[in-house]
Amino acid sequence: MRSSSYSVLPARALRTVVVLALTAGVTAAVPAAQAETSTPPDAPATAAAVAAKPYLGWTSWTMQSSKYPGLNPKGDYSYLSEANVIKQTDAMAAKLKKYGYEYVNIDAGWWMDWSWKSQFDEYGRQKADPVRFPSGMKAVADRIHSKGLKAGIYLPVGLEKGAYNDGKNPIWNTDGCTTGDIVHDDLRTTNGWDSAYKIDFSNPCAQKYIDSQARMFADWGYDFLKLDGVGPGSFKDGDNYNNVADVAAWQKAIKTAGRPIHLELSWSLAYGHVADWKKYSNGWRIDTDVECYCNTLVTWENSVDDRWDDAPAWTDHAGPGGWNDLDSLNVGNGEMDGLTKAERQSYTTLWAIAKSPLFTGDDLTKLDSYGLKLLTDREVIAINQSSAPPAEPVTASDPQQVWSAKNPDGTYTVALFNLSDAPASVTANWPTLGFKGRASVRDVWNKENLGSHTDKITQALPAHGSRLFTVTPRGTNLSWTAYEAEAGTNTLGGNASVADCSACSDGRKVGNLYAGGKVTVNDVVVAKAGTYQIKVAYISGDSRSVLVSANGGGATSHKFASTGDWGTVNSVHVPVKLKAGANAITFDSGTGYAPDIDRIDVQKTP
Amino acid sequence: MDTSPNEPSRRTLLSLATTAGLTATLGTLPAFTAFAAPARPAEVPLPADASRHRLWWQAPGDEGSLIEQGLPLGNGRIGALASNDPGRELLLITDATMWTGGLNDTLDKDGQFPYGRSDFGSFTLLARLTVDIPDHDLGAVSGYRRTLDLAQGLVTSSYVRSGVTYRREMYASHPDDVIVLHFTQSGGGRYTGTIQLTGTHGENPTAAESFEATLPNGLRYGAAVTARGSGGKVGVHGTRIDFSGCKDLTVVVGAGTNYAPDAEAGFRDASLDPERLARTKVRAAATESAGALRRTHVADYRALYGRFDLSLGASTDAQRELDTWERLHARTRDPEPDPELEAAYLQFGRYLMISGSRGSLPLNLQGLWLDGNDPDWMGDYHTDINIQMNYWMADRTGLGPCFDALTDYCLAQLPSWTDITRRLFNDPRNRYRNSSGENAGWTVAISTNPYGGGGWWWHPAGNAWLCTTLWEHYEYTGSREHLKKIYPLLKGACEFWAARLLATTLPGTSREVLVADSDWSPEHGPLDAKGITYAQELVWALFGNYCTAAAELRRDTGYADTIAALRRRLYLPRVSPTTGWLEEWMSPDNLGETTHRHLSPLVGLFPGDRIRPDGSTPSDIVAGATAVLTARGMESFGWANAWRSLCWARLKDADNAYQLFVNNLRPSTDGSNGTAFNLFDIYEVERGRGIFQIDANFGTPAAMVEMLLYSRPGHIELLPALPEAWAASGSIRGVAARGGFEVDLSWRDGRPTEARVHSVGGRTTTVAYGDVSRTLTLKPGAAVTLKDFAR
Repeated sequence: MRSSSYSVLPARALRTVVVLALTAGVTAAVPAAQAETSTPPDAPATAAAVAAKPYLGWTSWTMQSSKYPGLNPKGDYSYLSEANVIKQTDAMAAKLKKYGYEYVNIDAGWWMDWSWKSQFDEYGRQKADPVRFPSGMKAVADRIHSKGLKAGIYLPVGLEKGAYNDGKNPIWNTDGCTTGDIVHDDLRTTNGWDSAYKIDFSNPCAQKYIDSQARMFADWGYDFLKLDGVGPGSFKDGDNYNNVADVAAWQKAIKTAGRPIHLELSWSLAYGHVADWKKYSNGWRIDTDVECYCNTLVTWENSVDDRWDDAPAWTDHAGPGGWNDLDSLNVGNGEMDGLTKAERQSYTTLWAIAKSPLFTGDDLTKLDSYGLKLLTDREVIAINQSSAPPAEPVTASDPQQVWSAKNPDGTYTVALFNLSDAPASVTANWPTLGFKGRASVRDVWNKENLGSHTDKITQALPAHGSRLFTVTPRGTNLSWTAYEAEAGTNTLGGNASVADCSACSDGRKVGNLYAGGKVTVNDVVVAKAGTYQIKVAYISGDSRSVLVSANGGGATSHKFASTGDWGTVNSVHVPVKLKAGANAITFDSGTGYAPDIDRIDVQKTP
Repeated sequence: MDTSPNEPSRRTLLSLATTAGLTATLGTLPAFTAFAAPARPAEVPLPADASRHRLWWQAPGDEGSLIEQGLPLGNGRIGALASNDPGRELLLITDATMWTGGLNDTLDKDGQFPYGRSDFGSFTLLARLTVDIPDHDLGAVSGYRRTLDLAQGLVTSSYVRSGVTYRREMYASHPDDVIVLHFTQSGGGRYTGTIQLTGTHGENPTAAESFEATLPNGLRYGAAVTARGSGGKVGVHGTRIDFSGCKDLTVVVGAGTNYAPDAEAGFRDASLDPERLARTKVRAAATESAGALRRTHVADYRALYGRFDLSLGASTDAQRELDTWERLHARTRDPEPDPELEAAYLQFGRYLMISGSRGSLPLNLQGLWLDGNDPDWMGDYHTDINIQMNYWMADRTGLGPCFDALTDYCLAQLPSWTDITRRLFNDPRNRYRNSSGENAGWTVAISTNPYGGGGWWWHPAGNAWLCTTLWEHYEYTGSREHLKKIYPLLKGACEFWAARLLATTLPGTSREVLVADSDWSPEHGPLDAKGITYAQELVWALFGNYCTAAAELRRDTGYADTIAALRRRLYLPRVSPTTGWLEEWMSPDNLGETTHRHLSPLVGLFPGDRIRPDGSTPSDIVAGATAVLTARGMESFGWANAWRSLCWARLKDADNAYQLFVNNLRPSTDGSNGTAFNLFDIYEVERGRGIFQIDANFGTPAAMVEMLLYSRPGHIELLPALPEAWAASGSIRGVAARGGFEVDLSWRDGRPTEARVHSVGGRTTTVAYGDVSRTLTLKPGAAVTLKDFAR
């Protein structure tokens, strides 16, 4: 299982502020019950399956979280208001709807006053703050629907402390259930901020409480729910923070609520529970907040650039019905975003090819021309929405890296990234995609056909820059020869040892590659001298580097992205210069920790 | 060996004429001055193997990393780093004389010099030029390529945007005294954008085409730009020049200061208006066609570049396919040599010297290339190795004319250095003062500026090292004119040491010797040691050079006898019975850092010549020097590796000498020691922070030559330390040899095949290869070709 061993991040510290605010809300008096409708809501306008493709939309959280001047004049997170949501709805309808943008998502705070004090109805359900949302939540959803868009809403997981009311609040539509019935006797807390009591689903009343919330949202007309602070994840681990039962209850509740509701989970969901997230939800945030909680919406280092390391492990788990959520896409206004043009393009490129939902947190009334171009590029959106799998790295996760996905029509979506702080050239070698020879290349962002390229394409990329290509192969297939790392003819050094590995080819791998541990794959025979892109199958529960060398020559360090856990194999390519005849290729941990190696595949000719 | 005397070659005569002409010119003109329009030559043909002289890259530089990614331009006085970014060309421009600070003659409480940017001063930027072409953002172009053509002195970049190929070429012209940027395209493209020329010191821009300002020290500086396009519009709008729809565009930039190399005038030319002069120069250049400007520059540049050539063998096609940055990585990773890359590394050093050392101040710690106003160590002149190392390769690689900037600098500073020494050196607070109380001549601080001032600590032996460096240029060229110029420097340094040396009786003996007063062996160990090897060796060489000079010029015979007598009494280092090393201090103990960067105790091995592995030096001294060098190790900063390599070459250890060169080729990443993307040498000041220090870019080429040819007056040795990597075949042409000769040398299978020795003033020398030696006698201007070394 993946533990939340993150170091302290600014975002986390700022999250703490939210915790305190929520805790303070416990002492608030429970307000009088709101008028409720018990009539099932109308069927939604569209009947398409939820999350058949990554959704496109907007979230309120990005601007709520920012210290950008003027965004939150009534205190932290005060951007969220009825007027602002309607303003953004209108802007989305006018500028983005025709490109597929659909969801207007209200984030945390709709039930809190400007001082972040929460309010609940007589059934312990969150109640709209009458100042933030004077027309109520249903009216806002109606307004969003009137523009042909879908409405999203938000909840933290668990029974919020303010909803508990000494266990005396009745659960709506039950015969005698109270909030006291649905929590543990010791009032153990849960979620990423410990702002709620953990719900005890062994008591049938618990499901009823979730049903009551789901029904409320369906009645109001909401099409989307972000359930936040969910664990394992959200920087929490351990039984109290295991919210799989909550998520399952939500899925069950939505089924009977009378309206399809997309269920999105947040944040930094544990990789070890990916099967649960896939089973019960439509999307899961794989990482911490992209927002910087600073004077801009985001910054490159905090934490946009983390995604290149963190997304690869999740790639195989995304698909229709559930997607890897890389968080909001804030590229619409360079000055507010706090990013360079190159960074904005790279950000959009990764989100698109990784098939992340594309929801922006920008002020849609202030998109600059470049931002509008990025957010509305029909080819890029089509790549995101296509039936191809998400792209993943085909090279090591070095500062210059290449990602690719094979499309159903035989073409490849290929992205070049330069994550270093200075311009650099980046090369996509066709063998890393799976073929060699010629290919025609289309530059997707620049709307330009770059003609035929043999064996590779090299382009100059700005600092933190990218290129997005559609590559149509016109060459030949590759033929690989596999060499198992654990083969008896190889040479192990230091602590390195052979271990069983059910996911590995031939069921074994070489592990314990640390502090000088190394494995040399001997007798790798090639027909002629040259630089080969060898395919390395590896296992690594976290991102690790390894020194790769051939025939005792100088070594090059390559970083391999995490495979998510120590039972999953992934492959990337690294360049190695080989001589004609037999070669020895070494993977050395140096002074650090290297991934386990399953096997390598090498072509006969480069 | 075969000897076939030849008539003097036409080329040799021409080069002699060039040298004399330049020297005369430089001696009389201030740094930035008006002069008549240059001759406009016809096209100069490219060398046949032009591609070997081309470095290329597949990415531009950006503003944040220009010191590692910018490509250098320079005309010997003005220099620039260029980003070559398609959407925004950026040039950071300066002039060798753009310095803050001043005389700095108020010592600190410890009797040493202040070392700040306002008192001592700092080399700094002069201007910043941008050419914005918004439609050509790097993210929107393909096929980007960037080239530094070392053979022609041209920086080019090209890329494709919407099917149009755009090409950009730039250079700094010495004859026209301007920087030229020429933008062209093929395929029906147009250039639209903005040009801005600004200062970097908070100047308020008031006009688009020029600006002027004055530094707090009173130095006036100014810059000017003009642009010309065809097929579109070019116009001034406020503080920028806009261009639109231009099929091609020529941008001309000029810049300078009112610095004058004249201590009496306070190092200023009061009559010089830098802004007006820059405007005059750019307007004059802009009346010429782009083709004429380019031809003029290339002809001028090639006259220097073509004086020397080097081949270390052929690279493979696979190596040639890689760009320069990839090639550096491959050279570090793979065991195979890359002979063409290795030769190009040397030629890059020559490009920097031609671009950085002509007609103005000499090359400082960064040459003419800055990425900010405040370079580390002030971008100053460090006199305890760095400025000397900058010029070790000048004569060795056919760039003798570029040496003159150093000579002229020392001469211009001498009145002030003498005055400051007389007034301040014996300050009672100065721990290095002469304990005798006597004081004469001149010396310097570890750092010097262009205003006659010193910085950091006193550096008594610095005068001797400057003098021996100037002396070597005389040994290479045999130029009496040069000798006459440097004679006052030599004599003044001798006077300083005659006053400073102390007589002492060696313990346990009755032998009285002369030792240097309290000093610091650079830059480690005890601060107050008497008789440090560094000073003893340098003064021994200085005294010898002076006596030769006095005899040659028939001057001061009596004084020369006095100096010769002092020299005979000088203590010279012994080998420590404890460590087996040649002693650095008059102590058997290792009082410093074993792997310290400086090789001060070996200054008599290189650049000095006292310690020779040829039987003429006692074997224990050679062994002691070898032991120190071994202990110092193979891993240090770039310049320190270069010095180590030179010492190993002198000891005829080709493997170590070559390995240190290869170590310097290592790509620098995250500021580590090694070679940057743009081939600048990076010095890691702390983990993660590297700075550019140019000395290794010159010291390393000097070491490469020293492996191929050793010389001292009267003796030339071929291939003394030829590394296996270059042994198969190669050639070197135009190498100066001390004693007044020039050598062209070819080899195959590790042995010379032909050596042609020209006299540029020398008359007699032995030429040796291995155990074979031959004595040549030539008239000045004559040449011989030697063959059949295998026998």
